Amino acid sequence: MPTTRRRLARAATMIAAAVGVALTLGLTASPAAAASTPIDPATAKESILVVARDNSTPPAKPLPGIPVQVSGNGFDVTVSTGADGRVEVGLPGPGTFDVKLDVSKVPSGLALPSALKPERSVEVDTGNKQVLANYIFISATQQQQQQATSTPSPGATADHEKASDEKQSGDFGRRIWPALATGLIFGLLLALASIGVSLIYGTTGLNNFAHGELVTFGGLMAYTFTSIVPLPGWLAIIVATVLGGAFGFVQDLGLWRPLRRMRVALIPLMIVSIGLSLAVRYLFQILYGPGTLLLPQDSSAAINIGPVHLTSADVSAAIIAIVVLLGVAWLLGNTRIGKATRAVADNRSLAAASGIDVESVIRIVWTAGGALAGLAGALLAYYQTIQWDSGAQILLAIFAAVTLGGLGTAYGALVGSLVIGLFINVSAIWLPANLKFVAALIAMIVILLVRPQGILGKKDRIG
Amino acid sequence: MLDWTFLPLTLNQIISPQTIAFALAALGLSVHFGFTGLLNFGQAGFMSVGAYFFAITATRFGFPLWASILAALIGATAFAFLLGIPTLRLRADYLSIVTIAAAEIIRYTVQTPDLTAFTGGSDGINGAEAGFEKLNPFPDRVYKIGVVPYTNDDIWVIVVGWVLVALAALFVWQLMRSPWGRIVKGIREDEDAVRSLGKNVYAFKLQALIIGGILGTLGAIINIIPTSLQPNNYGTQTTFFLWTIMLLGGATTVLGPIIGSIIFWVVLNLSDGFIGILAATHVLPLSQVQQGPVRFIIVGIALMLLVIFRPQGIFGKKKEAHFSV
Repeated sequence: MPTTRRRLARAATMIAAAVGVALTLGLTASPAAAASTPIDPATAKESILVVARDNSTPPAKPLPGIPVQVSGNGFDVTVSTGADGRVEVGLPGPGTFDVKLDVSKVPSGLALPSALKPERSVEVDTGNKQVLANYIFISATQQQQQQATSTPSPGATADHEKASDEKQSGDFGRRIWPALATGLIFGLLLALASIGVSLIYGTTGLNNFAHGELVTFGGLMAYTFTSIVPLPGWLAIIVATVLGGAFGFVQDLGLWRPLRRMRVALIPLMIVSIGLSLAVRYLFQILYGPGTLLLPQDSSAAINIGPVHLTSADVSAAIIAIVVLLGVAWLLGNTRIGKATRAVADNRSLAAASGIDVESVIRIVWTAGGALAGLAGALLAYYQTIQWDSGAQILLAIFAAVTLGGLGTAYGALVGSLVIGLFINVSAIWLPANLKFVAALIAMIVILLVRPQGILGKKDRIG
Repeated sequence: MLDWTFLPLTLNQIISPQTIAFALAALGLSVHFGFTGLLNFGQAGFMSVGAYFFAITATRFGFPLWASILAALIGATAFAFLLGIPTLRLRADYLSIVTIAAAEIIRYTVQTPDLTAFTGGSDGINGAEAGFEKLNPFPDRVYKIGVVPYTNDDIWVIVVGWVLVALAALFVWQLMRSPWGRIVKGIREDEDAVRSLGKNVYAFKLQALIIGGILGTLGAIINIIPTSLQPNNYGTQTTFFLWTIMLLGGATTVLGPIIGSIIFWVVLNLSDGFIGILAATHVLPLSQVQQGPVRFIIVGIALMLLVIFRPQGIFGKKKEAHFSV
């Protein structure tokens, strides 16, 4: 019993250490913009301007004293429009905020036109001040006439991407090529993250739900070492990769190895990874704020091939990913440690019996998986943007890719990622933008039905 | 000025509709995981499906209350079939990925602009409670419990909610003492042994998935009656909250998830309050925006510690708490 006790105590301190390391690594970032409720719009970098007017009879009259609630990203204030029918709301940072006007306080006989909704989400980019949220009221009778005659227009929350898609629909050829290009790049980035998930599963049996946070960590480190500590972009990517590897190593040393020693079963381990994911993700939110972080980059097109326009960030992300993936494939196929990794992933007991040091292989897999995820996050931050939950957002796409390719196989993860990356982007031609992940998830479920072991998996793996 | 009002408000968390909703849904989850051993990480999806069936039929098609409830139960059952038929034959960890994916599919799909006429898009649905409040026998006045004034509608949903919790607990308790309960517990312990006794394991798992899903749906209905239906309230974090609640009380017990829900919301409320105080007195260097995420970090760490050090929860028996696989 005393040894178990000591082990338990040690595991607890290790967990605390792991979280502490994440904390200290993250502390280099500036804390999120300080906020008090409500934030003075004069000093805030971002603000929303809410305007409520009565347009039922000209001239338009301001509507004073209407309560407006602005919420989102952990921020929530309720203010009232002033005598001029306007109120400016200072924001804690950029992001998407829900603006809700209390229509019940508007004088009776007035209504919003059917195209305007009392609740809408307003997107505020970094440094945008007085982003408008207009509420122009008309008389209730006018509104009814309007509803009867005009076709319903999309609400304020309508999807811009969808709208522009519809305009171009019909010109399939012009849209399939850019979709294939972005899908391929996204698939390559996904592959970097997926290999770690697949190899960790293969060597330890753990479905790591906290892998998204390794990706986010890499992206946040890339942000830290370009925007806070000004380093050149290529160096920041290397630093993010190295720190990602360190994060993976520390996680294994401080948390997963002690748990393996305690012989915690796989399902509890999976639940531990969910708890870790939740804790680390929201720690990122505290340290880096709830908004989207932008890395300095050149958005002008570097290469134009017909309808495909790629920026230098796109091209370099793709090239780096391809080079690294080829390197990993070569390492797995030709080196001693690569062969040992595949052997452990294939059959752990047999590998151990043949004299392979399983624990050290697992440690290398965690470190390499963390480094690859960190690189994926850094490239993703350049390719798109990064925020506290970017990794969690693509976690299910990673799982879909790994399941599709065959759990536990590194090459399968690569193939599955490319398929999922293409699938997500090509399906967006027909589907509304918010459903593009849905297509990938449904594809995963269908694959599980038809061929549960995945494209490259072996049948005996599904048990 | 320090704001200590959270202290008396915490007592009201004990009976709040949110506590009731999570108690019912966590009880459903314990039918899935605690008793049958199914790794359902999509309980939020069951809640969401039931809530949408209830709210859409009530507000868009004007169904009476009983018909809306029936529609919600049918919706949850259909979702269980849809989810269970392809995946219940697979290994447990596949089920976890598929259920979490299915819940996210629901959450994304209901927010599609094309479906806004039915689902209200990302704004969700208001006003589904009208039919329920029409049956309210409580006279219209202010009821004060502790420091909180309640309307007669609040009291009505709280009373109905707790009656529902009691009935559900009784039902699950009796069910698990019945031959059916012994078989699903057998499936949890050793699926192949039960199969070798000639039982149709697959059918029993599907039945357990339906029963637990229906409990989740009932929870969701209680949740949306005093507020409104918001699609983003049924994301993965809701499922993780439910797992924490279930493991806190004890996954293999009937009272565990209910007491777990009470403790969970009381502790979260207290921690939110104390962190606010600590930040206001500058003991913790956190701005107002930074205080919100702290509760999720607490839940995450609590989940890890629970699974590692006390997998049987507060009320569970150690011998039932070993996880298979």
